[in-house]
Amino acid sequence: MDKSKIGHHISQQFNSELEEIRTLVLSMGGLVEEQIRNATQALVEGNVELGEAVISRDVKVNKAEVNIDEECTHIIARRQPAATDLRLVIAVIKTITDLERIGDQAERVARMGIRLAEVDRPKNNYHEIQNMGDHVAKMVHGALDAFARMDVESAIEVSKRDNQVDQEYDGLMRQCLTFMMEDPRKITQMLDIMWAARAIERIGDHAKNICEYVIYLVKGKDVRHITIEQIEDELSR
Amino acid sequence: MTTNTNTTETKTHAVNLKSLGREQRSNVLKNETTCISTDNLNLFYAEKQALQNVNLSIPEKKVSAFIGPSGCGKSTLLRCFNRMNDLVDGCRIEGKINIDGSNIYEKNVDVSELRRRVGMVFQKPNPFPKTIYENVAYGLRLQGVKSRRVLDEVVEKSLRGAALWDEVKDRLHESALGMSGGQQQRLVIARAIAIEPEVLLLDEPASALDPISTLKIEELISELKDRYTIVIVTHNMQQAARVSDYTAFMYMGEMIEFDNTDKIFTNPSKKQTEDYITGRYG
Amino acid sequence: MIKKWFKSGDPWIWLNAAAVSASLIIVLGLLALIAVKGLSHFWPKSVMQAQYVQATATNSNPESLRIIGEVHNQEEVTLEALHGMGVHLELDALTATRILLKTGNRDISGADFKWMLQPYLKDEQYPENIVVLERREWGNFYGFLKSVKSDNKTVASEDTAWQELETQLERAELIYKQIREIEKDDIGSINYGMEQIRLGKRRLELEKEDTPERIQKLDLERKQLEKEYAVLEQDLKKLYKKFNRDSIIAETMSGQQIEIPLSKIVRAYRPNSLNIFQKIILYFEKLWEFVADEPREANTEGGIFPAIFGTVMMVLLMSVLVTPFGVIAAVYLREYAKQGAFTRTIRIAVNNLAGVPSIVYGVFGLGFFVYFLGGNLDQLFYPEALPSPTFGTPGILWSSLTLAILTVPVVIVATEEGLSRIPRSIREGSLALGATKAETLWRTILPMATPSMMTGMILAIARAAGEVAPLMLVGVVKLAPSLPLDTNAPFFHLERKFMHLGFHIYDVGFQSPNVEAARPLVYATALLLIAVIVLLNLSAIYIRNRLREQYRSLES
Repeated sequence: MDKSKIGHHISQQFNSELEEIRTLVLSMGGLVEEQIRNATQALVEGNVELGEAVISRDVKVNKAEVNIDEECTHIIARRQPAATDLRLVIAVIKTITDLERIGDQAERVARMGIRLAEVDRPKNNYHEIQNMGDHVAKMVHGALDAFARMDVESAIEVSKRDNQVDQEYDGLMRQCLTFMMEDPRKITQMLDIMWAARAIERIGDHAKNICEYVIYLVKGKDVRHITIEQIEDELSR
Repeated sequence: MTTNTNTTETKTHAVNLKSLGREQRSNVLKNETTCISTDNLNLFYAEKQALQNVNLSIPEKKVSAFIGPSGCGKSTLLRCFNRMNDLVDGCRIEGKINIDGSNIYEKNVDVSELRRRVGMVFQKPNPFPKTIYENVAYGLRLQGVKSRRVLDEVVEKSLRGAALWDEVKDRLHESALGMSGGQQQRLVIARAIAIEPEVLLLDEPASALDPISTLKIEELISELKDRYTIVIVTHNMQQAARVSDYTAFMYMGEMIEFDNTDKIFTNPSKKQTEDYITGRYG
Repeated sequence: MIKKWFKSGDPWIWLNAAAVSASLIIVLGLLALIAVKGLSHFWPKSVMQAQYVQATATNSNPESLRIIGEVHNQEEVTLEALHGMGVHLELDALTATRILLKTGNRDISGADFKWMLQPYLKDEQYPENIVVLERREWGNFYGFLKSVKSDNKTVASEDTAWQELETQLERAELIYKQIREIEKDDIGSINYGMEQIRLGKRRLELEKEDTPERIQKLDLERKQLEKEYAVLEQDLKKLYKKFNRDSIIAETMSGQQIEIPLSKIVRAYRPNSLNIFQKIILYFEKLWEFVADEPREANTEGGIFPAIFGTVMMVLLMSVLVTPFGVIAAVYLREYAKQGAFTRTIRIAVNNLAGVPSIVYGVFGLGFFVYFLGGNLDQLFYPEALPSPTFGTPGILWSSLTLAILTVPVVIVATEEGLSRIPRSIREGSLALGATKAETLWRTILPMATPSMMTGMILAIARAAGEVAPLMLVGVVKLAPSLPLDTNAPFFHLERKFMHLGFHIYDVGFQSPNVEAARPLVYATALLLIAVIVLLNLSAIYIRNRLREQYRSLES
């Protein structure tokens, strides 16, 4: 199914309702993406103000979720959507849940950033966090892009990138553990960093979930809880 | 989706799909016994072809729904199953329809006997202008059953079967025309099941009824499917989705898709089906 | 203004209302005319006595005649017209009133009615002791009762005569009833039995099975009947002797005294002495006599019961014949026949049959039923009666059959209409339960079509009851000796001729020797014919409505 197919309903009203929730999801996605970038930046730069701004903007993300949820409920109640329409609505409901979680994780990163701003900064200036943050932000962007274009290829491509995030996370963990063993005074600081890294890694997982919803939306196949290879195998059939 | 149990599980959260209960989404009819099957069925009204090469296997003791736009041939197909189309002048049929393995369009088939095996309920409730009791007993009386005891028994059983007994038990000998539309339709169903058919054909059974009566009929259908193979034609897609196990989509006399109802309503494989059920018709 | 009024549609409503009112007035007027003219006939009118003095210029001392009679009619005639007739009347006015007086006493004066010129009538009065005698022959007698005689001896005269007459009349009436009973029923059935024996003998002869034993057996039966007959004859003789015992002496208007046996008198009354209640009672007596009795004197007196009976019987028989026939034809046309040009042609032909003049059916009935079918039936089944025909002569069966053919299109059309109105879904419902086409028809379709069939029957009855022309050819007679239904086995005599109200009207009105006397009877009979038709129709409509009740909700 391609994006243009949202239209062409006999009911124009239905068309515009579906188009509206799609747009709302994308704008919510944009907001969340910005939150990730800002939170990472706040942490890396020790920018307390930016961090607090991220925290306060999470309310907007939450509101967007509730809003879209409601829209979806209305569509189900009034239109009894079937097939692609049904899958779109379901995918949207799930996507916004994940987006909201991403928002929460970004908030967590920002909190950690505010706490870390009060202590000494490491030499590499949180380079790894910066990398990971950029990475997941790109993943979220890619997932939303795939959603917007209903592009299965790029969805698969994006979910593949989750492995890389996981590896980076593992590396960071090992590094932190080393620091903690070297200097027990830094344990608190390191735990905060680990919390932030953990949050960023979770964002990657959520981004991957969104990609799976895109595949469900387009192909009508549930690809959760299976490997990328299995997904590709399944889709190629 | 087929299970691919041989795939190596590289990720921990990739679990055996069988345990998720999704394996039966394979070829829908694999695990079903076929009750009615058509073989290259073509039907012509005079020169106009109403059904084109219909191949279909309707599973036993399940509810199968035919959906499609008006004039797509779904009622025509339904009426082939008990040879009601014989009544139409200039109607000609090619191909075969097998019920329990024998072709019902064979020359030596007793049409009355066939219709006894394949009951039918029509769009508009059509009780006879007789008492409720006589309506239900009609089929049995045709078969020459005279014993009052047998008749009483079957009438009660059928009315109970049609979830109508409690509503009418005190007025069995009043005219059936005094009942409400929904009751009349259930009476007609009781009348049909009184002669113990194998198959029950329902031609838009709820289209003339109000929503509550419609729900009652739908409830009745799901109760009856343990005992009868039910084929229902409906204009109401939601109704098909609610009551049926399998759904067939027909368009311009062709069988476009016949599949598990869940599949048809979430992820149909044909674009025409998709367009129809999502309301993107045309 | 006018334009606006036209546009409002009101003129149409008025036009429609006017049309309806006009038809209503015509129908009601017709009924009223018939009712008034017919029913007033039975009212006991006062009898006038007057002096008729025909004074002319040439005869200065004219003769004075006593006149007694009922005033029946009066009209104005111009003097000129009278002059032309040789009557020279000198009056101030241009016209004179002429009175039609029923003077009765046909046996003496030769005519029942007399036209009298009003100006010549003098001294009109209504004496209480004028007697009206309704007689079995010669019409009414008007005059004065002088005395009553029994066995040629005067038993009462003048004042007591009237009372004596009334009591003796009652006695005579009783005896008359006994005589009728014996003559009509007992002797009738003996005659019938003798005829059957004669025919039985003849049959045996024809079949060459006239063995002596059988003949003897029949002869024995015959002797038995003859014995019975002899007994009855004796009884009759005695009764007649008693019956003829009494007589009266009465004086006519011309003063002539005549003797009238009581056995010849049906009813006696003194109209001028009756009060209104007595008159009403007498009126209903006479009305009942009209409805329930047999005709007398070439149908101009007495009742018309045989005609009512014949009409109803013929119509019922026709209904019994036409309904199944028409229904079967309609069922075939609508349910079985392949719809196409051929069935359309048949349908058109059937519809056109309804428009063929009825006398044509009469000719057909005479040619086909009476001569061909009846003749052949006689040959086959009643050879013993030949050459006198049994069925090869007009009779009630052939009349009913002829009318059945006349009305069958109506039944076919109505039934077809009813069949086509039955929803397709009902047929399908029945077929879907495994019923064959015949079972569906029999169990569902036909019961549902009964109201239409009844409609067809009602229309058929309405048409048949009013038909006279074809019946004159195939079975109606002016006077039938016996009813088609009696106590002699097989009770139902389809070969007999019968009387019919419609024909009775024609016969009384135009073929009667006494047109003047019969005219009110024509109206009364017409009224009865209408009543019979209305009654037949109403009962059919009642049955239909009851049937329709059952299926009403289905037709909506």
